[in-house]
Amino acid sequence: MALAESTRKKVRPIGLLLFRHETILLLVLVGEWLYFNAVGRRFGTPDNTFDIMRHSAEIGLLALVMTPIILTGGIDLSVGSLLGLCAILFGKLWRDGGLSLPVAAGCTLLIGACAGGLNAALIARLRLPALIVTLGTYSLFRGFAEAITRGVDTFTNFPDSFLALGQNRFAGLPAQVWFFLPVAIGIWMLVHRTSFGRSFRAIGFVPDGARFAGLPVERRVALVYVLAGLVAALAAIIYTARLGQAKADAGTGYELFAITAVVLGGTSIFGGVGSVHGTLLGVAAIAVLNNGLVHARQPREVAGMLTGALLLAALGASEIPKLLARMRAPRHGAAPPLSPNNPS
Amino acid sequence: MRKYSRELTVAGVLCVLLLALAITAPAFYEPQPLLSRLAREAPTLILACGIALVMVSRQIDISIGSLFAVSSVCAGLLAAAGWPLAAVLGITVLFGAGLGAVNGALVAGLRLPSIVVTLATMVILREGLRWQQQGAFINLPDSWQWFGLSQRGGQITLISCALLALFALAWASRNFAGIRFLYAVGSNAEAARLAGLRPQWMTFAVFVFMGALAGGAALMNVVQSPQVDPKSGTGLELKAIAAAVVGGVAVSGGRGNLWGVFAGVLLLASINPALTYLHVEAYWEKAIQGAVILLAVVFDGLRNQREIS
Repeated sequence: MALAESTRKKVRPIGLLLFRHETILLLVLVGEWLYFNAVGRRFGTPDNTFDIMRHSAEIGLLALVMTPIILTGGIDLSVGSLLGLCAILFGKLWRDGGLSLPVAAGCTLLIGACAGGLNAALIARLRLPALIVTLGTYSLFRGFAEAITRGVDTFTNFPDSFLALGQNRFAGLPAQVWFFLPVAIGIWMLVHRTSFGRSFRAIGFVPDGARFAGLPVERRVALVYVLAGLVAALAAIIYTARLGQAKADAGTGYELFAITAVVLGGTSIFGGVGSVHGTLLGVAAIAVLNNGLVHARQPREVAGMLTGALLLAALGASEIPKLLARMRAPRHGAAPPLSPNNPS
Repeated sequence: MRKYSRELTVAGVLCVLLLALAITAPAFYEPQPLLSRLAREAPTLILACGIALVMVSRQIDISIGSLFAVSSVCAGLLAAAGWPLAAVLGITVLFGAGLGAVNGALVAGLRLPSIVVTLATMVILREGLRWQQQGAFINLPDSWQWFGLSQRGGQITLISCALLALFALAWASRNFAGIRFLYAVGSNAEAARLAGLRPQWMTFAVFVFMGALAGGAALMNVVQSPQVDPKSGTGLELKAIAAAVVGGVAVSGGRGNLWGVFAGVLLLASINPALTYLHVEAYWEKAIQGAVILLAVVFDGLRNQREIS
């Protein structure tokens, strides 16, 4: 075993900083930017840059909060559905419940945290697989949203002062940025600058080892899911403010975009490895690609296909050297075990 | 008996639901609507059996909804071009298997996590299809719907095909070494390797098989309507996974029984009509479906905890 360890270390590339996942992704992002700037006429303008920020804020928030979850080796498929449910409940509390908008927003955040708490209870307390629990709540939350609106009810006519949160600029930047930045900084600090956040990676690496090391694994895991619920509710409010309406299908498919951004940003789906700044780069790479292709007059679908291809390329690039090493290595000896797919 | 308590519980719940419907809403059992419902669920059953085998070998495939849609369009285009049924069936199944092989090569060859690989192929296939079709439906020749039989005849044919496939797979999963190996690989890939199996090849094979089943299921869906909808199969992957989970297949691999999956498919499929007949609004379907999935896993979790303590 010791021999296997030492040979594996030799395979690792030497120019570590240059070949870091984040560095490569940053180069891809810069390349994208330069290309679209050359091709699209309006792409590089500040207006368009703000447009990109505006449209990627919700998915960005979900991706940010998905990062600690995936770091602990979990996954949350329910965030998109929860966004829809929170948007509906926000509208319902305001229009039919007669609450003022700030109170309704506060209640929505609370509901989001409670819904995250349901995931947390099932995953951390009962130790059920996160993939399946959140598949269930994915269906449950969207189902509640549909049942509450009976599939047709839409909440509109929000006052302008509220819509400003999604459509105006404050201090020269889109209003979304002022929600997004504190969350991004907060989660970055949590994950990268506190021992509390460091424990997420320990749990993702070896849950049992973390438990033996004295970490309260259940409580830490529960926290990341509650946090996800809370931020999904925040994203729901911003989403409602940006579009000026709340419908039951709000945020459909967002969970997949968020997971894509996180994995593209270099976080291992098995947990333990990854970074919040990587996620931010992943979100930016996807957002720029989507927006840029529109400016380059390519059909919308190409953006989706390229995002998928980019995801495969990002993963494959780190695996192909290992594949070659495996093919050169003698057939006997301890082969690396088949990676378990189950990310929970 | 204890070994199958999970499957028996699902079957019990299904029986109670069906019994309740028999008492409160006998209209549920009128033959024609019942046949139509069962025929609509036939493709789901095929996909759920396939995903159960994928999950047994400790992988997951969330691209099957897209695979299903792409195969449907492939079958539709061939049919519209006037190819005979047998040829279309063969080509669609091979086409699905080919796309499954791409997933399999990426997962088994490059050892990438299957959930991410199939997430990527799901998006690529779905968007590629939208690009190519631009949402346009494909009109099928008249002789295609219900294989050119009467509606009832076609539905009975479809249901029997699905049941036949289920019987064959359920029998094979107990008696055919190839599928037993999947259980071995899913339980412990390293132990399976040391026992002389080749986990990577088994993984590759199960994805190819899943693709072939998706192609077959797509054809079963295509013959049910006069047109092919390029958006068909959206969300089908989650429906199939949900049915497998409710039916007692463990995502952690190595455990699952196709009869349980059958009960899971029937249970999830009866929820929507049951709501209608019990005068609950149909908007609750998704919420109840989610609740059923959660109940099933909570049941598993509590039972596991009892077994440990």
